[in-house]
Amino acid sequence: MGSLTLSRSVRVEEIMGMPISIHILNHSGMLDATAERAIEACFAELRDIDRVFSTYRDDSDISRIARGELALTGADPRVVEVEAACRAAAIETAGLFSATWKGSFDPTGYVKGWSVENAARRHLAPLVAHETAVGINAGGDMQLFTAPGADWRWNVGIADPRRAGEIIATLEVQNGAVATSGSAERGDHIIDPRTGEPARGVVSASVVDDSLTRADLWATAAVVAGFDDRSWVARSGTRTGIVIADDGRVTRWLDGTSVDVATGAALL
Amino acid sequence: MKKIIYAVLATLSGLVLVFSYRTSLDAVQPIAATDTAASSGTAATTTPSTSDDESSESSSDDESSEGSTSSSSGSTSSGSTSSGTTETTASGLTDGTFTGGAANTRYGPVQVQITVSGGVIADVQVIDYPNSNREDQQINGRALPVLVSETTQAQSSQIDMVSGATYTSQGYIASLQSAIDQANA
Repeated sequence: MGSLTLSRSVRVEEIMGMPISIHILNHSGMLDATAERAIEACFAELRDIDRVFSTYRDDSDISRIARGELALTGADPRVVEVEAACRAAAIETAGLFSATWKGSFDPTGYVKGWSVENAARRHLAPLVAHETAVGINAGGDMQLFTAPGADWRWNVGIADPRRAGEIIATLEVQNGAVATSGSAERGDHIIDPRTGEPARGVVSASVVDDSLTRADLWATAAVVAGFDDRSWVARSGTRTGIVIADDGRVTRWLDGTSVDVATGAALL
Repeated sequence: MKKIIYAVLATLSGLVLVFSYRTSLDAVQPIAATDTAASSGTAATTTPSTSDDESSESSSDDESSEGSTSSSSGSTSSGSTSSGTTETTASGLTDGTFTGGAANTRYGPVQVQITVSGGVIADVQVIDYPNSNREDQQINGRALPVLVSETTQAQSSQIDMVSGATYTSQGYIASLQSAIDQANA
C-alpha cells in the first residue's frame, strides 16, 4: 500500500531507557533541514522529560520529591500537570491506574505516553505539511501522523507476547496512537494498585486511540483489569484494541463492542 | 457491554460461520437463538451467503435466517469440490464472504464481514459502522486488529511499526522494530 515510491527515513535514539524511533515517509527519500531540526527537537524534549521525571536519576524532580527534598508546588510545572492528570486518570479508570505506589508518587507509567505524544504533536505533527507521514515509536508505543489526503496507512504489527520477533495481529492506522502494555518484555512490572500484587492473566494489551496518553493509560488498565473484566472498554472511549491472555485467549473490541472468537473455534 | 462473537465451526460438509451476539444487560434484540454451537442463549447464526451453489445437506439445519439483518440464507458445503473430500484446507473454512447480523451499540449498528480465501480468513471488515461523532473515517475500514492467524498474508509483510510491551534496549536489538529501523536507516 502507500503511494508509489515512498521512501522512509529513520532516526533512533535511546532515551528514558528505551529505543525511540522516528520515521518520516516522503518521496524524496531525504530529510530536509526542517525535518532534521524537528527530529532533534523532539528527542531533546524527551531527554528533558527524562531529566525531570526519571526515577533512575537522583537529581530528578521525582526523586527529590520522593526524598522529601522538593514540594510538588516547587517542582517543574510539568510535574504539577502530570500529578493532576494522574489523579484524574485514577478516577477515570476506577482505580485500575494509580501513580501512587507504596505511598510515594511515581508517574512513570503515565509519563511515557504523555511525553511522547506531547513531543510528537509539537515537533513532528507539523511536518506532514511537507512529508507524507511521520511517526514515532517509543519502546513499542507510537503516535502516528499522515498528511491529509495521502493514501498512506501505517501498518502496525502487534508483537506476539509469547513468540519473540513475531507478530500476532496487524492493524492499519492513518492518524492515531497504539500502545501495548504487558509482561512480555519486562516480567511482571505492572502492579494492580487495588491489591498491591502484580497484575496477572493478561500478557499483552494493545489499545488504539487518537491520543497516545490515553492509549497507554488504557493499555495499562487493561492489563490490571485482567482478561475477563472488560467492563472498562465501553467507557474508555478507545477506538479499538486487542488483549491476549496468558493462556492464549484473545479478545478485541471496536468502540466499546467486544469482538470475540468463540471458544473452540479452529482459528487459534 | 455487548459482544460480538464469531466462530468458525467445522461441520461435516463444510463450514458455517456463526455470528452470535451475546448481549448483557442492555440487551439488543436477541437475534433469534438458534442452534447451540455458539455459546450462550442469544446466538444468531448467519449462514454464509456465498455464491457457490448450495448443496443442501446437513448444515441447512442451522440456517437461522430471521436474523435481524440481511445476510443469512444459503448453506455451505464444499460447493464445487467433491463432496467427501472435504476441502479442508488449513483451517477448513469455505471460501466466500460472510456477513454477520448487526449488533446495536450505543453508537449505532456494527456489522462484521469476513472474507475467507484459500480456507483461511483473509479479511475482517466492519462493514456497517456508525458515523457517530467520531471524526476519523478510517475506522469505517478495517480498523479492527486482524489476527495473523486469520489472514493469508505473510505476517511481517509491510509492517511499518511494531507495538509491544515496552522493550528494553537489549530486547530492541533482536526485535522486529529494530530490523525495520535498520532496513531504512
